[in-house]
Amino acid sequence: MPNASKSLLSYGLPALVLIVAIALFPSLAPNPYILSSGVIVLNWAVLATAWNFVGGFTGYISLGHGALAGLGGYATGLLITKADLPSFGALIVAAVLVAALAVPIGYAALRVRGASFVIVSIALVLILLLVFQSWSSVTGGSRGLVVPRPFPGMLRPDHHRAFFFLYGGLLLLALATWWLLDRSRFGMGLKAIREDEDKAESLGTPTFAYKLTVFVVSAAFTALAGGLYALWFGDLDPVFQFSVLTGSYIVLMALLGGVRNLYGPVLGAIVVGVALEYFKVEFGNSPLHLVTTGLLLGLVVMFMPDGVIPSLTALVKRLRNREDSSIREVTAADLAEQRREREAAKS
Amino acid sequence: MTLKTVGLRKAFGGVVAIDGADVEFLPGKVNALIGPNGSGKTTFFNCVTGMIKPDLGSVVFGDRDLTGRAPHVIARAGVGRTFQLCRTFPRMTAVENVLAAVRPGGVVHGLRSSHRRTETERAHHWLTRLGIEHLAEAEARNMSWGQQKLLELAGVLMAEPATILLDEPAGGVNPALLDRIGTLVRELNAEGRTFVIVEHNMDLVMSISDHIVVFDRGRPIAAGPPAEIRADERVLGAYLGV
Repeated sequence: MPNASKSLLSYGLPALVLIVAIALFPSLAPNPYILSSGVIVLNWAVLATAWNFVGGFTGYISLGHGALAGLGGYATGLLITKADLPSFGALIVAAVLVAALAVPIGYAALRVRGASFVIVSIALVLILLLVFQSWSSVTGGSRGLVVPRPFPGMLRPDHHRAFFFLYGGLLLLALATWWLLDRSRFGMGLKAIREDEDKAESLGTPTFAYKLTVFVVSAAFTALAGGLYALWFGDLDPVFQFSVLTGSYIVLMALLGGVRNLYGPVLGAIVVGVALEYFKVEFGNSPLHLVTTGLLLGLVVMFMPDGVIPSLTALVKRLRNREDSSIREVTAADLAEQRREREAAKS
Repeated sequence: MTLKTVGLRKAFGGVVAIDGADVEFLPGKVNALIGPNGSGKTTFFNCVTGMIKPDLGSVVFGDRDLTGRAPHVIARAGVGRTFQLCRTFPRMTAVENVLAAVRPGGVVHGLRSSHRRTETERAHHWLTRLGIEHLAEAEARNMSWGQQKLLELAGVLMAEPATILLDEPAGGVNPALLDRIGTLVRELNAEGRTFVIVEHNMDLVMSISDHIVVFDRGRPIAAGPPAEIRADERVLGAYLGV
């Protein structure tokens, strides 16, 4: 069991740094462009953290979360334009609707494991892309959907600032929820599913209900991020909203930071999100950012399968205490010690 | 509570793994299920614990019909099991492996800490009882095969099943540990737990069981106390091919 000081160091301190950074960033940003990039990076951070409810706890790798964000965005936009709901009312209702829709989606998708689940999740994106492109009488099709701004008179920099804080609040909420689940019995059951699903089931964990529940929670947070994006950006296009790339970036971010860690996806989102913005500025629409992110994903999977945070923690631990290099050695030493003690007791 | 099957049948394509098995295990006793390789013992276990749905027949525990129910429902009804190739949660510590067997029971309970004191103490109790308490904070993947077998049993015991099914508890363990497992089973049985053991090690089976069921070609061919089974011609035939 992690003791109080350890959990303060690994959860409390980063939380404090994150809160201070979110509070200060808009005042420190030199221009509105940097501020808008900050909004985009926070959007990625929320998406990656939301994804980690499924990916990190249960080990089910979904490439379809981009579609859930797209659904959240479109639902928010359509509820405002077609149902005349107020902007943030529409955002909440949209998240509830996507969560409800996640029940049948999860019911079908979570029946298969491993690579099959990945493929089903990709299929979700492609199906929704077709639906939203073709159903143009409702969605606007490839012409896109214009979403009215929630703060009509607001100047652009203030608009970015407001959304930066909204995203910051959503990120903290998502992190707090993940932390709550991580330390709970429910979370223990989910992690048992990640480790060995049949074994968890045989110990009495209703694995399917667990997976479905956490998928719905994940979908709700993803939809909130997508809905906020719709309100902030004001224009939705099916090609970008229902893109397999979005899901791939989310997976890359989560894996890069470390999926077993509360802050892993946030760190990954900052690294990859900033890199993506940089590539967009420096190389425009060239496919160079795809090549680089692909390369990065390969490197992470090969050399840091647990992500940056666990690799760095392990490195620090090794440097600090060279003798304490692995559990196996400690265990062997423990056993030898016990053997000596037993022999001493006998003689 | 008596665990029994009536007319249980399971075929994989053309291969009939279990062929109309009527088996009744004695409650409060150590039961053994023996038979040659491929006689359907593990498939039988999997049907009883819900990992595989039988084609025909029924599984009854006490007065509950558990046929075709989900494994977690059967586990919660009080039938625990270990696996032939022992299965633990590799990247969780030993104590977490045991705590994973705690039933959340409802949303409020589910959101409570997984390391609550009463449960953690119970988990340590089982680790101590099985002699692996010193490894409580070690990840299961770093433990030896024998230690993992004990850990798997600790997890099953944490869930407090009335009946425990052990699939080859002696598989791949050294003689000292074998003795310890035998003693443990007898002790845990004396405390009121029913055991059903699939095992090839005849010394272990004969020394710890009260009741032996012999399987051949997917159905029981004999059942009775060890002395009776040892002298049974049909058993010798099935095992030795005479």
